[in-house]
Formats: sequence, C-alpha cells, structure tokens
Amino acid sequence: MKKHTYTVINTPIHNIDGIAKITGRAEYTFDITLPRMLHGKILRSPYPHGEIIHIDTSKAERLKGVKAVLTGKDTLGRKQGIWRRFKELCDEEILARDKVRYIGEPVATVAAVDEDTAEEALDLIEVEYNALPGAFEPLEAIKEGAPQLHEHAERNINVTRHIEWGDVDEGFKKADYVREDWFRCSSQAHVCMETHCAVADYTPEGKLTVYTSTQSHYYIKVLLAEILGLRENDVRVISRYTGGGFGSKFELDSAQFCCSILSMKLCQPVKIVLTREEEFSATKRRTPMFYYIRSGVKKDGAFLAKEARVFTEGGAYTAMGATALYLTGFFQSFPYVWPSYRYDGYRVYTNTAPTSAMRGFGAPQATFCAETQIDLIADELGIDPIDIRRKNAMYPGYEVPGQATIQSCGLGQCLDKIDDWIKSRGKLPPNRGIGVSAYGFMSGGIFNWFDTPYAFSSAVLQINIDGKVDLFVGSQDMGQGSNTTMAMICAEELGVKVEDIRLHMGDTETCPVDLGAWGSRETLMQGNAVKMAASKAKQQILEFATAKLAPNIVYDLDIKDGWIHLIARPERGLSFYDVVKEAIRGKDGQPIIARGHYTPHRKGMISPAYSFGVQAIEADVNPDTGKITLKNCVTAHDCGQVINPLGVEGQLEGAIAMAAGYGFTEDLPMDEGKILNPNLVDYMLLRATEMPETKVMEVETYEPEGPFGAKEAGEGLTNPTAGALGNAVFHATGISIKNLPITPEKVLNALKEKKNK
Amino acid sequence: MKKKLVHLTVNEEYHELYISPRKLLVEILRDELDLTGTKRGCSTGSCGACTILLDGAAVKSCSVLAVQVDGAKVTTVEGLADGAGLTPLQLSFLDHGAFQCGFCTSGMLMSATAFLNEDPVSEDIKKGIQGNICRCTGYNSILRAIRAVAEGKYEDEGR
Amino acid sequence: MSYQCPVCEKIWPDTMELARHVFGVGDQTHKDWVNSKGVNFIELLLIQTMEPGNKGYKTLAEILERDAKKVEES
Repeated sequence: MKKHTYTVINTPIHNIDGIAKITGRAEYTFDITLPRMLHGKILRSPYPHGEIIHIDTSKAERLKGVKAVLTGKDTLGRKQGIWRRFKELCDEEILARDKVRYIGEPVATVAAVDEDTAEEALDLIEVEYNALPGAFEPLEAIKEGAPQLHEHAERNINVTRHIEWGDVDEGFKKADYVREDWFRCSSQAHVCMETHCAVADYTPEGKLTVYTSTQSHYYIKVLLAEILGLRENDVRVISRYTGGGFGSKFELDSAQFCCSILSMKLCQPVKIVLTREEEFSATKRRTPMFYYIRSGVKKDGAFLAKEARVFTEGGAYTAMGATALYLTGFFQSFPYVWPSYRYDGYRVYTNTAPTSAMRGFGAPQATFCAETQIDLIADELGIDPIDIRRKNAMYPGYEVPGQATIQSCGLGQCLDKIDDWIKSRGKLPPNRGIGVSAYGFMSGGIFNWFDTPYAFSSAVLQINIDGKVDLFVGSQDMGQGSNTTMAMICAEELGVKVEDIRLHMGDTETCPVDLGAWGSRETLMQGNAVKMAASKAKQQILEFATAKLAPNIVYDLDIKDGWIHLIARPERGLSFYDVVKEAIRGKDGQPIIARGHYTPHRKGMISPAYSFGVQAIEADVNPDTGKITLKNCVTAHDCGQVINPLGVEGQLEGAIAMAAGYGFTEDLPMDEGKILNPNLVDYMLLRATEMPETKVMEVETYEPEGPFGAKEAGEGLTNPTAGALGNAVFHATGISIKNLPITPEKVLNALKEKKNK
Repeated sequence: MKKKLVHLTVNEEYHELYISPRKLLVEILRDELDLTGTKRGCSTGSCGACTILLDGAAVKSCSVLAVQVDGAKVTTVEGLADGAGLTPLQLSFLDHGAFQCGFCTSGMLMSATAFLNEDPVSEDIKKGIQGNICRCTGYNSILRAIRAVAEGKYEDEGR
Repeated sequence: MSYQCPVCEKIWPDTMELARHVFGVGDQTHKDWVNSKGVNFIELLLIQTMEPGNKGYKTLAEILERDAKKVEES
C-alpha cells in the first residue's frame, strides 16, 4: 500500500465550531428570537386510535393573546413521507384531519404572544373523538381481524423486504449444527439535548424561511414545499447549529410544519419548541424488532446458511422505518461470509408513535441478535468466540452476492487486536466476563427513494484575494463534527491551513444540495464532493504557478501548507497566497471558483464502502441483584484513513454510551400505546459515573472510494455494544438474555431459572 | 400576577429587573438578559444544560425562581472568561474534544468550574458532572478535559 | 427462458425470482393478481415468515410457472 503523507489529515484539529460552543455564543434554533415573534404549541391526541368527529377552537381563539388556532382542516390535507418514490408510503399528514393513530399525534396548533398563553389555549380546544380499538404489538396487529390503521394496508402490513443469496435449503442440509433463536429488540429514544424546534417566518412575498434543528436542510425544504404547496425554492431552511440528531431530525416534524402553517396564516414569525415530554412521546424512535434466526454451521464453525425473519413495530406511519427494515436485513449477515442467506422482513403498522431512523438504523438490533447467537453456537461447538468470527470474517474484495462489494476491510486485524487485549486480561474474577461483538456499517446509502434529481453531495469553493477559501457545503453538522472534517479535507487537498477555510453550511439559500447527515454519509459523500471542488480549484492555481515558475515540463507541482512547489524539488516554489493574488488578476478580477459533486454509481445495493470493527466489553454481574457494571470497553476499529482523530474518538465514546444504554438501561415501556417514562427521571440513560474505561485501537486501511481513503466512523459504532454486553453477561454467568434491555430483573430471573434446572 | 423587583448581579453586571414571580431564573437569563448560552434540555431538573454558578455554587437555573435568588451573584458561560479570552477549562475542552453538538456544554463547563473551584484534588471527577447529561460524547473526553485542568496542566494557559 | 411479471411486465430469469419480485413490490395491483389466483397474498407472506422452508414463495412460484408469460432470451 502506498504510504501517504498528509499535513492536515490525521492530526487532532480543534473543532472549527468549538470556540462558539464553549463560550455559549453558538446560536441554536432554540436560541433564535425574531422581531414580532409569536410562540406556538401543539395539541396532541390522547387516544392511540380514534376518529376525529369535531374540533371546536372558538374558546381558544377568544383567549387574550391568542393569534391563531389551526387544525388539519386548515391545511391542504396532503400526506407526506420521506420515501417519495412510493406514494403509499407517504402516509403522514402531520396534522391529523379525520383520524388519529397514536397518542401524541398532532390535531391542532396555536400561536400566541407567549408560551404560557399558547399552552392555556390548548386546554380550551374541544376535540370530540370516537375512540377505536387499537393494535399495539406487530404480531397482534398482523392477525386477521385486528384493528386496521390505514385503509390501504391490509393486515397492517406497511412494507415487506426480501433479501436472498445462495442456496439456503441446500446449506442447511449440509450443516452439522443448526440453531434457532428468537429475540426481542426494544425501542430507544434519541434524546437530543436540543428538542425538536423551529422558527418559521413567512412574508407577504410568498417566501417562507424556517430556522430549525435538523440533520438535512435539503429534505426539510423539499418536504415543506410539497406539503404546503409552495415552490421548492420559495422555502429557505436555515440550520447553523443543531443540538444533536442521532437520526431523529431529518424527517419533517410537527414543530416545523405547525409553525410554518401558523406563520403563513399570520405573516408573523412563529416559534415552536417541543417539550421534553413531547420529545419522548410524540417524536420518532428506534424500531422495536422481533427476530427469528436460524443458522446452519459446520462442526468447525464454518458458516453455511442463515435464515432471518423479522417483524418490526412500525408505529402509526412509515417514516424512515422502511429503510431500517432493509438495512437490518442486510446487516444481519454482516460482517461475515454467509454462503447462503435469506431474509424476510415485515414492518407492521401499530397504534404507537412511529418508529424510524436512529443511529445504526436497524443494524444495532441485527448485530445484537446475530452476535448473541454466534457466541451460543461457538459455546455449543466448543470454539473460541474470536476464532469462530475470524473463520467467517469478511475480507477485502469479498462480494456479498447481488448486494455489495467489500473493498477495504480491516476486520481480521481488528480481531487480532481484540484477541491480544482479551489475553492480556488474564484470568478474570468470578462473575466477570468479557464479551465480544464484530460489526460493520455503511458509508452512506446509495438508494434514492427520496427521488432527488440532484447529486447526492455537492460543494462549491471560492478562493478570495487574500487566499481565504469560502467553502460551501450542504452537509449538516449536528455535533458529529462534519464541518471540521470538510474543512480538513479541503485544506489537505488544496494545500492550505484549516484556518484558511471559511465554511458555509446550514442554509438552503446559499449552500449546494447534500442529502444530509444520516446513514453515515458525510465523510465519504460530502467529503468526496469537497475534495473534487478543492482539486479543481487547485488545478486552476497550479496553471498560473506553472506559468510563473516555468519548470521543465517533466516536473509536476503540488501545494502543501500554503507552499506551491515542484514535487521533486520542494524548495523551488511560490507562496500560495501570492499566486492567488496574481491568478485572480489574470482571471480578469474573478475569484477562483470550483464545484465538486458525488453520487455513487454501480456500487451495489447498499453503500460504496463499509467500516468494520470488533468491540470487547468486560462487565461484572452481581448474582444477588442482577446489576451489571461495565468495567472496560475496548474497540478495534477500521474506518479507513482517520481524518480527525479527535473526532473519531469522540464518536466512538459517544456511541458506546448510547449503545450501552440500549443494551441495559434504556427502554420505552408502553401501556396501550402510551409511553410510561417520557422524562429524563424515568428514562435511564448513562451518566458520567456509569461510563466504563474506553480504549480505541485504530486499524488503518485505505478505502479506494473514500476521500483520502476514509469511510464512516460514527454510526456503525452503535452496532456492537448491546451484543458485546450480552455476551459478557453470558460468559460471566452462563445465561444469555435475548430480550433487550438486559435489566437486573431479567438477569435475576434467568439466574433463578438456571438454578432450578 | 404582580411583577416584583429583583436585583441580580450577572457576570459582574448589576441588574434591577421587574419580573413575574413565576419566572424561573433560566427564563430571566435567556429571555430578559439575552444570555442564551445557558440552555434548557428538560423541565424536571434532570439534564443540567441550564447549570449556572449561583454565588459560586453550581445550580440548575430551571429549578429556582428568579425571585428566590434576589441579591445573588450569578455567573453564566458568557461570564467565564474576559473578552476574547478563554479559561483553562475551556481551552482543555477544545484540546480534548470535550463536546460535540455543544448543547450541554455550557452546563458542563459550569458544573466543572464549580467542581474545580471547590475541590481540585478530588479523584472523583465523575461525580462533579453526574448531574449533567451529554448524549454525544459519552463523557470520557469531558472527564479527561477536567482532569487535565485539575492536574494543573493548564496553569499558565488561560488567555 | 425467462418469465414476465403478469402485472408490470418486468422480466425475470426464473419463477422464484419473479415470486420474490411480486412480493417485494407488493402494491395493490400485484396483490390483486395473486388474490385472483385463489390464494391470499398476505397468508402466503405469513407462511413464508412463520414456517421454515420458503413455502410462501414456492407456492407463488408454482402459480407463476403455470400462469406467467414465458419469453425467449433476447
């Protein structure tokens, strides 16, 4: 492999938004106040399923300080959804007109002079419902005679997915050992620290500006325009700082829609901030899944055939749940070579809050089930957990039949590193175990169900007279650090310093289109677009520099750290900043401008590139209380070329906290569609005191499809932790919990059961 | 409800404010004084995004009414450093990447500042921020940043 | 020999692939076609999921073998 020498890439660069964030100056949507701004609130359904018979808003309208009260009847009545290519899947009105399908579904919205008045007005709106029986569990909702949520969806089947390769039946015939397991994967709330919020400002010119906390300003612009009947580019979406996303903020939400219709009605700015309770009970969440997995292997642990079936709890609407259904099926086979594989997935509508995208996007569920089963198989066959994974691991150049081509893959090295670490731990004390889980993830999806006619990512770059570079990107930084990543990629390619880059993002009016920060797409896709733009700009500068230096034609030039030079004779060169001045003069006074774009072509069905890794968790299980204490969490990780080590480390540690929460503390229990813990007291996410020691070991590979060889490093890290945790419990106690989260109660019950056997 | 006069010294600036006695301190800071660096992430006193210093102690400003703290001295994130300067803790946050989305950061900084002022030798830094939720970082980078300051690595570095 | 989807006329190399396609699309017109053959689309789906052996697809593939238009390889 060619050794690359970089001046910016792989150096720990301070986050370029850092000073704004640590001094409190970063202005989030939550902080925005506009002149004449009103405050909005949303009335939500108390019923999981019901017909709206009548809504009387007159009392609310008469309350002093109330400016407008709107219901579904005041909208165009259009249904929207992010799967725009499939009309049936665009099933959500946002403001219900005739029927409510989950507790928390918006039915009316109010704008008033302040939040208290708006809140008071909600109590004065009289809604008459005809309550209907609900369907709450997917396995119940699919049965004949269950209450049906949508007219078009017989038996409440929303989406089905099938994936298959190889001869599965033949594979099982050849197997020495076949194992079947059933799993239940729970839901999880994103819990962004900034709740969903938006400020809409509609002006009589017919233009709507929406400030909002989002992962994709482009999606929000298009979806808003469509549902409001506006021209796409009469809607401007601005999102400079986003207080967390994790998958919850790239679909159109109730705050964005309601404040937009209120502002359009009043021609005044309206702000809506969801309360923490609304955030828990009425925004989308991780998809609960019921998995059946059957695997056939040889005596020596070689994988032969796998069959997976899943029913997912869809909640009331499609949302991004259709994608989660597809990805969970693909990643159920990951990161292994399964000669034959068959997956059937069913997403079922239920009268619960819709389930959708959340960091990992169906893969954490799949990985938990798969990795738990692999340890059970290994145990049964007397094979070491690392060995069975090594034997079946994906490798560079492997082709998943009909699905994907794996280019770079450092899974083998990751397994070696984790193996060494486990051995270094020696003999463990009683009731302690180490569990491992291998994982992988995509670097951006190649699918286009949104039906965008634009390139997936675009960048525009302008070099000014003082050498300062204006870089316009469509990517969205929700905290993952893509702004810094893009500035670094641009600086490296152009040969300047990160301080020379002035990044522009988060505004559909000035920034080119990018599909947004989801599916781990930014580093690879937006990164490639930025690299292309920078490379084209560099070419323009090098033309001037070459003319000026007049080298022998066999020499070529490069720029590093602001120094334009002959590659073979680095001392012979010119200052980038001087050349820029002259180049602009030479261009009749025009700044140097270049564009870049990226759309994956012919890269399989899923993604152009995949990250890999192996995680080990060391945990104590208290046999008297069932309490699990995390001791160590060690991860060997292949994200291709690391761009910003500070960023990768942060992503990894953050993912552990979130995914460990999914594994053993976080859950959204419900009673007939009502979430029972919609607050931060009862919803148990990890606090600083519960975090284990974390250690990251980077395995560097070079991904030919990624910018400078990079691939995703943020989302896939959410995949292994629940499985590794479950396996740690298994090795500590001999019990395997197949029902997330692994609570003390479940552990105690299983221990009791084991004793009684 | 009748408005009341409240005296507050916020970031060393003295204010006399006529406010509704129902208003929380966080609302006064954000809405009356435009100090929007202090955030709100919940209404149950659970997340710590609204943490400020009240007479030097870390307090969740959504859990006190402004009238309750009449005459108090308040420091918010905007008051941590002078002008263009940064405190050692802020510098350490930058160096350690101790924030991502940044929404909890103000509260984290205030809790950690109070902790460092009270007991800079304590080993158990985790307890100093256990009242603050961060959904992005997994806390460890924050703990490293605070530890570096506690260990004196930034003694000469405030600017 | 290839098989043509009786609803949207897409060509598939064999009837199993075609059956997967019919289930995969699963829109009303495809459902109606299956239901018109004396079987229930959703029942077939459930059988496919709840019981081992690929039964749902096989049943539909047999129907398609009989009723789908066969086209010569071009």
